[in-house]
Order: sequence, then C-alpha cells, then structure tokens
Amino acid sequence: MTEDADAQLASLMQFLYSCPIGLIDFDPNGEIGLINPKAMQMMQTVAPATLCMNVFTLFEHCGPELRNLAQTFAPRRGTVCEQKRIFVHGGHGPGQSDATVFECTMLKLSDARYLATLTDVSRQVAQELQLKQAEVWFSSLVECADDFDVLSLDASGRVDGVSDAYLEKTGLPREGVIGNFPDSFPTEGAGESGGGIAGILDQARRDGWHLDESWHQTMGKDGRWCQRLVVVRHVGDIDALLPPDASTGYVLVLRPMSGRRFDVARLRHMLQNDFLTGAYNRAYFYEAAERDLKQATRRDTALSLIMLDIDRFKTINDTHGHGVGDEVLKAIASICQATVQKQGIFARLGGEEFGVLMMVDLETSCHMAERMRQAIADTAIATASGAIHVTASFGCSQLTVAMRSLHSLLNDADAELYKAKREGRNRVSSKLSTSNQPNLQPVQLMDRS
Amino acid sequence: MLSEKSFDGAAQGASSGFAAISIQRLDALRSDEMDALPFGVVGLDAAGLVEVYNSTESKLAGIPQSIVIGWEYFAETAQCMNNFMVAQRFEDEAEIDDIINYVLTLRMRPTPVRLRLLKSASISRRYLLIER
Repeated sequence: MTEDADAQLASLMQFLYSCPIGLIDFDPNGEIGLINPKAMQMMQTVAPATLCMNVFTLFEHCGPELRNLAQTFAPRRGTVCEQKRIFVHGGHGPGQSDATVFECTMLKLSDARYLATLTDVSRQVAQELQLKQAEVWFSSLVECADDFDVLSLDASGRVDGVSDAYLEKTGLPREGVIGNFPDSFPTEGAGESGGGIAGILDQARRDGWHLDESWHQTMGKDGRWCQRLVVVRHVGDIDALLPPDASTGYVLVLRPMSGRRFDVARLRHMLQNDFLTGAYNRAYFYEAAERDLKQATRRDTALSLIMLDIDRFKTINDTHGHGVGDEVLKAIASICQATVQKQGIFARLGGEEFGVLMMVDLETSCHMAERMRQAIADTAIATASGAIHVTASFGCSQLTVAMRSLHSLLNDADAELYKAKREGRNRVSSKLSTSNQPNLQPVQLMDRS
Repeated sequence: MLSEKSFDGAAQGASSGFAAISIQRLDALRSDEMDALPFGVVGLDAAGLVEVYNSTESKLAGIPQSIVIGWEYFAETAQCMNNFMVAQRFEDEAEIDDIINYVLTLRMRPTPVRLRLLKSASISRRYLLIER
C-alpha cells in the first residue's frame, strides 16, 4: 500500500520535474510556494543567479502588469489572464528575431493561492514577425514588379543563373558573376550587411525562405541599396523569372532601394495601414490599444473606444458590386479620418467595421461619434453607380477601473454597437444614452459646422 | 583500537565533507559509501547521463534512483540547472571545483542550496554535490 503510494508519488515528481512548461504556485504577494524546474529555469532567464523567490519581484521589470492583474482581480477564483505575453529581453539583430518572450496564464484558486503557467514562445514570436515582414515585402514586390533583380543560386550558394538585365544594370561581366558567391562580386561598401550569404542560405533552408533585412550595397557603379530575399527553389518553381539553365538551389531576389529613409517610412505605412482605405490596420490598432491602455492605467487618464459599422453594407455590395462597396469603404474612411484627425487612432477592424481609440472620456467620444455619424449621413458618396447615401451605427465605451483589459473595452463597445443596430441604425449608443438620456441627440450639443 | 577507529572516522569526516572532498576520493567511493554521505551526489558521464544518484539526493528530490539513472540529467530532472551557470560550465570548462549558491526546486519547493561543481581532466565522470 505504502509502496504503491511511494511509487505513485515518485512518478508524480518525475512528471513535474520533466514538464516542459513552467508551473508556479504563489500567494497574493507573489511569494512562491511551489515551482517546477522548467519555471525555475525561465526565472533564471529573467534574473540570472537570483535567489529571489517572489514571482512579482522577478517580473517587476519585464512584466509589471502581472502584479496588477493578480491583485486587482476581484472574483474569488477564475482566470486572471490567458497567454499574456511577457517580453523578457528585446532582440538584438535586425528584425529582433532573438527576442525572449514568455506566455503566462494565471489562475486564481482562492484569495490565498494563485497558479501560473509559463511557456517560452520566443520561436513563435520570431516566426510571426518574419511572416509579417514577408507579407509586407511580397506585397511591395508585387507593387513595383519591374523593380527587382533575380539571381539563381545552386545548392552551394554559387550563382548559376543571371538575367541579362542584371548584367546590363550592374555592368558586371557574366563570367564575373556565374560560379561566384553573391557576396564576392558586389563591390565597395558591402560591409554593412550583418550576415554573409552562407548564413542567409542556412536560414532559408530552415524556413523555406529568408529575408535579409540589413542593407547591402551591391553595385559597383551607382552603389544602390538592396534588400535580399532568398527562397529555396524547387524544380518548376517560378520558372518564368529564371534563366532557363538554372538548376535546383535558391532564388535570390535583389530589390534595389531608392532611399533608405523613404523606404522605411513606406514599409512602416504598409505594416500599419489598411491597403484599401488607408486607415490604420487591425494589427496596429491592437498594438496601439495595448500601449494606450497601459498609459491610461498608469496615469489614470480616460480611454474610450468608438466602434462603427456601415449600415446594410451587404446590400450595397449585392446591388452595386464589390467595386462600389470598396469605393464606399474608402469614402467612409476618409470622412471619419477627416473628422477624427489627430484626436484618436482610426483603424479598420474588419470588413465594414472601424474603430476609433481616443484618450478622452465617454461623453467626448460620443460627441465625436455623433459628428462622424452626421458627416456620413450628410454625404452623397460618388461612385461608379452614381451617388450613394449610406449611414453607420456607433457604439462607444470607456475604460473603467473594473475592466483593465482591452478585451472588455472592445466587448462593451461592440455590445453598444449592436444596440444601436437593434434600435434602428444610424445612431450612437453608449452607457450614457441608455442610463441618463434615452433620446440624447448629441448633434444638438455638438454640431457647430 | 577503538580510539584509533574513531580518529580514523573523524579524519574521514573532515576530508569527505561537502566542501572538502576531492573528486578523486569521491570517484573512488563504493555506492554504499556514496549513499552514506550527508549531501546529495549526482555523477554524470560525458554525455550528461546520470551514472550516480546517491540516496541523500534521491530523498531530497523525492525520486528513486531507478527513475533517474541512465537519463539525461539537465534535460529531464534538473531543467532549472540547464543554463550557463551550471550545465554549460560542465561543457565549457576543462576543470571545475567551485561552490555556488543556488535555488533548486526539490519536491517542487524552492529550496536554497549550495552546489559544488566538480570536473577533472583525469576523471571522466563529472560530479554535482548538493547541500541543503
């Protein structure tokens, strides 16, 4: 009986000792009661050689919100946070692919006991970042399709195919290029690039492709800057781009840049903005919202969110086609952008759904929403199918002390938006309009135009 | 006879203490002698597989020798030492005799310990001594 129990206990210990996920049990002050080796190893990453056994103290620097989340969590038990990302160390190289990032899920078991899991997601984060960069890069490539050169490399990384256009542009002789490594013929000033071609090919082999984010001077004559993309080539892949004698290896795409500063701004724009409407995109919106949320919490300032949705947009698409639908989206975005200006972050959150994040109270955000509503309703949008009148519905919410998360701010605004839809569309809904003045028409208060 | 024996024992105690025992002497101990030591002893081969796991350590950690012997110590049992402060040093340094303060997760409880890292060019086995 005891032997059985001992064996079971030993097996349970082994299970916890080898668990690849960090497990920590701690009290409301962060003092650790139980911790498995993986969690301890991760703690050592945060603070090497530490003898400190307080989870909040350890994460004070890189994840100070853990303490706040735990201590402001009012329910007696429940999930405090789920897969909350903690950026332990920033990356060093271009693209910051070596950043250390943990994900923390925290449960409150009782007033005296919390439990957290820690997972190292650095690799996923690096991959996400790479994908994001690739997306931008590919789209910019497509946009200026004439403006790049393609070299073909064999399995060892030597050039085995080059287009005449490239030779013409660079003034390099064919025999100076074929059979050589791409690093060997670029001339002076090639030194700024971080890794040589060998490292880039290694990464490409691992991931299928690799974008060399550093800048590389490749041309002897004019000293142009290039971004380099290496894609592992499979037979029959992108044949059209390659010289006919190319064999299996890699494709190296060189994208000349007209100016470094210009292009960084453009890349940033492409990363942050919706391609159709020019409004900020969803990714940027969430990034900015997390930042504003932190700031609002720290400084105890107001933060409000307006969500708006174009009324009966599907009908417009169905009646006039998607081209006209796109024109309407663009027009609405530009009306809203002109109304909001720099007072908030205006972003496209979904198909016909937009959001505005403002560091103001609920009343002010409702006035802003009303101004947008009025401006949209007053505009005849010129489209290929003639002038179209549309309206939009609005839901507003404000961050409260009880909320403290973006999720609940979004949920509240979303609920108000659906209330506006239910109550007949073309209106602004918020807790103000329902609790105090059911028929508030802020236009009368605000409209000065 | 008796006094000589106790004198012998005392001498052994002094030179077989946590901080004093030499790797040569440790490596020459029989397994029952290892088990009798008052501190934890873990002996690893060059690949990091556990060859020695004395009963003091087994009791501290709450796992029997049979589970640990033959397995990769820093990957499976002691992930919290799988870093530059402990595991990496056994890889990087040809000879080590160093004592460091550390926190282990014995039976999942954070436990401050003293670790002694022992590695010698003449002995293939590396040792980790653990004193609570």
